[in-house]
Amino acid sequence: MSGVVLPDLREVRLANGLHVVVGRRPGVPLAAARLLVRAGSALDPAGAFGLAHLVALSSRRGAGRRTGRAIDDLVEALGADLGGGAEEDASVHGLSAPVEVLPRLLEVLAAVVTRPTFPKEEFDRLRRRERAELAHDSDEPGTVADRALLEAVYVDHPYGHPVDGRDRDLAQLRRPDAVAFHERWFGPAEALLVVTGPVDPGQTLDEAERRLGRWRPTKALPPELSSAVRRPRRVVVVDKPDATQAQIRIGGVGIPRRSDDYFPALLANAILGGGFTSRLVEAIRVNRGLSYGVRSRFAVGRASGLFVVSSFTKNETAGELVEVAVDEMARFASSGPTAEEVARAASYLAGLFPLSLETHDQWADRIGDAWIFGYDVAEVPEFPDRIRCIGAEEARGAALRHLPLEDGVVLAVGPAAQLEKQLARFGPVEVWPVRRAIW
Amino acid sequence: MVRAPALSAPIDLSPVVADALSNGLRVRILADRLVPVVSYYTFFRVGSRNERPGTTGISHLFEHMMFNGSERFGPKEFDRVLEAHGGASNAYTSNDLTVYHDDFASEALPVVVDLESDRMRALRITDDGLAQERSVVMEERRLRTENSHFGLMEEQLESLVFQAHPYRWPVIGWMDDIARISRADCLEFFATYYAPGNAAIYVCGDVDPDDLLARIEAAYGAIPAGPPVPPPVGGEPPQRGERRAAIRHPAHAAAMLAGFRGPAAADPDSPVLDVLQTCLASGEGSRLRRRLVTELEVAVSVGVGWTWRADPGVFLLSMELAPGASPRKAELALWAEIDRIATRGVTEREMARARALLRSGVLHELSTRSGVAHAMGQAEALLGDWREAGRALERYAAVTSADVRRAAREWLDPLKRNVVWLEPEATN
Repeated sequence: MSGVVLPDLREVRLANGLHVVVGRRPGVPLAAARLLVRAGSALDPAGAFGLAHLVALSSRRGAGRRTGRAIDDLVEALGADLGGGAEEDASVHGLSAPVEVLPRLLEVLAAVVTRPTFPKEEFDRLRRRERAELAHDSDEPGTVADRALLEAVYVDHPYGHPVDGRDRDLAQLRRPDAVAFHERWFGPAEALLVVTGPVDPGQTLDEAERRLGRWRPTKALPPELSSAVRRPRRVVVVDKPDATQAQIRIGGVGIPRRSDDYFPALLANAILGGGFTSRLVEAIRVNRGLSYGVRSRFAVGRASGLFVVSSFTKNETAGELVEVAVDEMARFASSGPTAEEVARAASYLAGLFPLSLETHDQWADRIGDAWIFGYDVAEVPEFPDRIRCIGAEEARGAALRHLPLEDGVVLAVGPAAQLEKQLARFGPVEVWPVRRAIW
Repeated sequence: MVRAPALSAPIDLSPVVADALSNGLRVRILADRLVPVVSYYTFFRVGSRNERPGTTGISHLFEHMMFNGSERFGPKEFDRVLEAHGGASNAYTSNDLTVYHDDFASEALPVVVDLESDRMRALRITDDGLAQERSVVMEERRLRTENSHFGLMEEQLESLVFQAHPYRWPVIGWMDDIARISRADCLEFFATYYAPGNAAIYVCGDVDPDDLLARIEAAYGAIPAGPPVPPPVGGEPPQRGERRAAIRHPAHAAAMLAGFRGPAAADPDSPVLDVLQTCLASGEGSRLRRRLVTELEVAVSVGVGWTWRADPGVFLLSMELAPGASPRKAELALWAEIDRIATRGVTEREMARARALLRSGVLHELSTRSGVAHAMGQAEALLGDWREAGRALERYAAVTSADVRRAAREWLDPLKRNVVWLEPEATN
């Protein structure tokens, strides 16, 4: 038994194609709702990186007959939180509200997603604010590293730019771009409304039909993307001369969520760099005191994914840290984990799994993930069993296939004068200015 | 007109089983058997507030040492054993407290009681372990403070707000002190602050409270009570004028952090300042967001940080400026908004909005087992009674708009202001 209790699910598909899922479950008197549209940053046109993100943000600034300010006042007076954002594969508008005011706010959520007015002055203001935030981001070495890594690994794949875009593109975007993006991609056929909490399912489904049943389909559906291409390993140093500590990333093209290797890769990663007792933590933090933290993960998308090791260390030991991490990856891929490691990691992932599904918001997000990534929500309680039946050889195989052993990118943010020489042994080095990750 | 949400208790704490062992260890257990997981907290009443110059940061460094082996479990065993049984651990140190937290599948409960009691009873403190954790903590300090604008500013601000009280140094400690702390310091620290009389356990999840209590009694009961804990050196002279500091650092835009000394957690004005914080900076419709970010566009972000502490803490205001925006104009606009509340107060509509947002925040906090156990621990440590975790909404209901105006006038007095500006130097 996994210990996870599936909410009492009601699923319908409206005549216009919209999927609606209501998950009734006990708990605190709050409700969570998500309205997902399969139009994310991967659909940002060339030269318009950040458009999906701006569309998601600015649709909250005016919808139907309401101004952005009226929406703020209504939502916050009811103690609720309503916000939108883009991910690679989808735009997600989320609502968290006291359950007694849910019907009233579903109407606002529906208006924001289906009938945004994109007031010009609000759109331009948000665009200015996003650009200003990027200026602050450029002073945060960890953020710079994460942004640069996407471009370095994915190169020209649609996942290869940060969701919040680039300064030079944001500078060019105008209100008509947002209107056109919304008109082209925001429709019910590739969208999902999910509501979870101690709600009345019948009433919630009626409300969904009333507010979203007349949403008109778009002319075209979003394209399916191919996976990203793996390239020989190279080194990127993002030059930040004033830093006393280097931010380090070792990244490569990983796996999409639908990969058959998903569960073996999850288990392999838990052993390599997942928890507090991972091989990387042992080698880098415990045995050598090189860093306060090191983690690895497979970030999965619908079409492709990213594997990344993240850490940081004082500039002088950047080369040593990378060497240790690269060696640990190679060792894992060649000799695999021990039976004891496999058992420990499986217990760890399975034992903690119920804690990832305690709240209404967590369930709404998980149901949304299942829809975007194409798996059945009913499988969710089986996750721990899926993990427990993976053997050492299966985990090693997934690591061998998907860790960037000879490909991918070693990336460091810090003073190039100190880092370039230390990292040259891992591949040909390119030095980027910080502005390349932002502008 | 918006209906005010129902004012019922956000959680029923009446089934909590509360007890204290003869050595002073307090135990509070709430069974919640819906899913087979447990959240287990151990609170020690020690933080940077209990430190002294020369060994600042020892509370936090010591938190790291707690994972380096005890009598029955060797170095590195704690997390290995816990993870093998389907669990994960974490810990944090604050100005007032050091808190250890385990989440796990309920079948691991006996193992967790073993692990936790063994390290409270007989921690191993070795030179090697200390040397290793020292270098890890130095990296943590480089990450969070020296390479972070906000970290640098916060450290500067606390030392402006406090001249005498131990809150004037950072929880992570000064770099030289981290280098200086010795094994002997650690041994003394453990003997003084990690005895059961200075600790409490909070559990929420799939447990049988009576069975767990018996288990805890068996495992922890023989640990000696320990010496009385020396009271922290408190006290702070009144501030008689504004204090300012600047940090010059490579940056693309300016930023400001300001602070006022506030009341202690147990002071009736603490929830009033929660309401004020919500009116000022929670949500798009809050006063500072609307004025500084939306209307004037001088700031990219604006925030208020009001964290309850055992002794009088700090009411923080932060702003990240838009590149090119005038720091002077931004600061004047900020103080104009504060002054407006101090002189004219907030509307009833704003009061209702703040209560509704705070209620949702409390419900979110109490929607996980970890949140419930932690809230009980916080309430007991700061307010003297774990039951206060269930009374947050009553406290907010009692706050009036007149209270908010008075609190803004009293606590956010311009003469008691402390301001730190990040002044950007050219970057590459």
